[in-house]
Amino acid sequence: MHCLVRQTQRLSCWLPAAQIHTTALQRTFWEREKKSGYKTKLPEPSKKQLIIDGLRDLKEEIKLWRQEVKEKLESDPILVFRPGETDIVFDFKAPDALDKWTVTTDADHGEGKSRATLELSASGAGLFHGEVNSQHTKDGIIKRTGYANIRTKRVRKSFKRESTYDWTQYNMLIMKVRGDGRSYLINLHTEGYFDLMWNDIYHYVLYTRGGPHWQIAKIPFSKFFLSSKGRVQDRQNAISLDCVTHFGFSVAAKKGMDGPFGLEIDYVGLEYDPSHQEEFAYEMYKTPKYIVAT
Amino acid sequence: MIRKLHCILRLNSTITQSIYKQRAPTLHCRNYATNEANENHKNDSSNTKRGGAAGSSKNLPSIRNPFAAAHEKTKNSYLTMVEIFEERDVHRRNHVEFIYAALKHMPDFGVEHDLEVYKALINVMPKGKFIPTNLFQAEFMHYPKQQQCIIDLLEQMEDYGVMPDYEMEAMLLNVFGNKGHPLRKYWRMMYWMPKFKNLSPWPLPDPVPDDTLEIAKLAVERMCTVDLRSKIDVFETSEIKDALDDTWIVSGMSPEQSKLMREHSRQKALYIEGPFNIWIRNRRINYFTLRADADPEFLAQLDKPQVDEDDVTQIGVPLFGRAPPRRHNQLGKVRSVHQQDDGTIFAICATGTSTKDSLLSWIRLLEAHGNASLGEIPVLFRFTSTVPAKAEQIEGPSNLPAHSSDTSSNKEHPDSKP
Repeated sequence: MHCLVRQTQRLSCWLPAAQIHTTALQRTFWEREKKSGYKTKLPEPSKKQLIIDGLRDLKEEIKLWRQEVKEKLESDPILVFRPGETDIVFDFKAPDALDKWTVTTDADHGEGKSRATLELSASGAGLFHGEVNSQHTKDGIIKRTGYANIRTKRVRKSFKRESTYDWTQYNMLIMKVRGDGRSYLINLHTEGYFDLMWNDIYHYVLYTRGGPHWQIAKIPFSKFFLSSKGRVQDRQNAISLDCVTHFGFSVAAKKGMDGPFGLEIDYVGLEYDPSHQEEFAYEMYKTPKYIVAT
Repeated sequence: MIRKLHCILRLNSTITQSIYKQRAPTLHCRNYATNEANENHKNDSSNTKRGGAAGSSKNLPSIRNPFAAAHEKTKNSYLTMVEIFEERDVHRRNHVEFIYAALKHMPDFGVEHDLEVYKALINVMPKGKFIPTNLFQAEFMHYPKQQQCIIDLLEQMEDYGVMPDYEMEAMLLNVFGNKGHPLRKYWRMMYWMPKFKNLSPWPLPDPVPDDTLEIAKLAVERMCTVDLRSKIDVFETSEIKDALDDTWIVSGMSPEQSKLMREHSRQKALYIEGPFNIWIRNRRINYFTLRADADPEFLAQLDKPQVDEDDVTQIGVPLFGRAPPRRHNQLGKVRSVHQQDDGTIFAICATGTSTKDSLLSWIRLLEAHGNASLGEIPVLFRFTSTVPAKAEQIEGPSNLPAHSSDTSSNKEHPDSKP
């Protein structure tokens, strides 16, 4: 393999024609970084600024760490999760609610013209709104565009150590939302350690009624299906709720749904419903040999 | 001339092949830029057309794209073109390019949701020729361009929400055999698509009707599913004597909302708010709501639990001479679904013109149809964007700014009007 690659490089040195790629070059063997080539290099602040920021963060981090140690010493975790009681995870009524979220659209990398914002609405809830547009720059590489997305920041412990949510005690996702009749995609990212698992996302649809009334959507975790980079995977399994790293919503301009959208989110919570016994909603057929992921 | 062009094309393809041979080791990077190629072909064909028939042979090679040149864009003409291509010659040269061109022009012919057309395109592929005969062919994607072409076709079906059927499976099996990649795509589609097809709790017709009134009815019906007793009325503004607009109003209101309105204080104003958006599949429609500000104290009182269940200091044990808890007189007011935290919703409507006049007619019509109390309560407009006063202004040459969005400037009492 290495030998071949080297040979190609040598060939390309000799032949000017071989340097012209008639097809897009794909490096699909392994991923270099988590953004798969979409990482935009931001200018790094000066060393002095870094030290100042670091010292300022240190105060908060120590506070967090102290809290962690305190919890560890107390060792009094919640053991009984009462059925029918909703525990709120993402509350937009909280003071710094909007800082937890990141908004992305296809326009971020010059691949589309959608725009979106997340702000507080008049009723004090989070309003994810904007306009999705499926028109795209015709560069011959992008085939379809038109999406907007919000995602929480990576959950972490003190001193910027990455961690995961532990939702194993629950089996339902509860959301109080007010939509506009569109369907939204709920994304539960379970980013793993290896590059193969960096893009693992569990999806389900959030159908919104539309209209002025709030709606409480109750979705079992067993319904979520695995996909990677937007492709539903052949080998499915139920989401492991102790590996959730991010949570988010997406909206797309698919099937001629270009135009404004608005999703008002009051809270996202979790619940344990003992009457829901299903582990995974989809059949787990054994696929024929050498078919998976081809 | 066409034959000549074909010759050049073939020549050109041999050149590219030779380039490929020189950099053969990089062939494992499989990516087929067929879409780009297609675009080029289309541009070329338009170039040759513009240049005239004579002397155009010096231009870049091209394939005639019958879909771009067709005068009559119907399903029949589309299928006829596919048939002509099939019968033109035995070898069906350039059928991959033909299928890509056909896929691209589907929306122009209005056939992008038609399964029959997709089947006709798959039928262009020769049967049996692309079936791998040994293990290596099967493993290394035998006839990759052709397979990728049909995968792209299936993907387009998926994007438009067209579900394949079993006949398509048989066709694909005949073309690519059971090891073909298009078959894998097909099986995945047939596994997942039926699961999501009827998942929505608010099912809608497919396709959605084109009539705005029908869409408005669907929209108001959908919004009113929050209360099962809701009634959808379709009013005509001609019922009102001095209505300026002659249009329809789809109004949704439930008996509970009528009751809330009767109990509503005469001193507190109601607001007509809007226009808001609701999507019915790919159709967007504006709606307006009749709403009053919420009474937070009253709501808090309703939500407050009568007995604190966590309080264990005073457990009433029904023994030792203590009377058992009595069930009667424990009923209180239950919070209605329309009494939301941010306001009480009384009615929802969509009108044909979405003008202030039609909304005024809506209030009058509600008053006439069993909500007499509406005549005594002040009603204010509170718009989120500009709403014209009456229908003529939409078509009129001068685009008058109807009203600003703040409430104070456009107070209007319907009862003060004659």
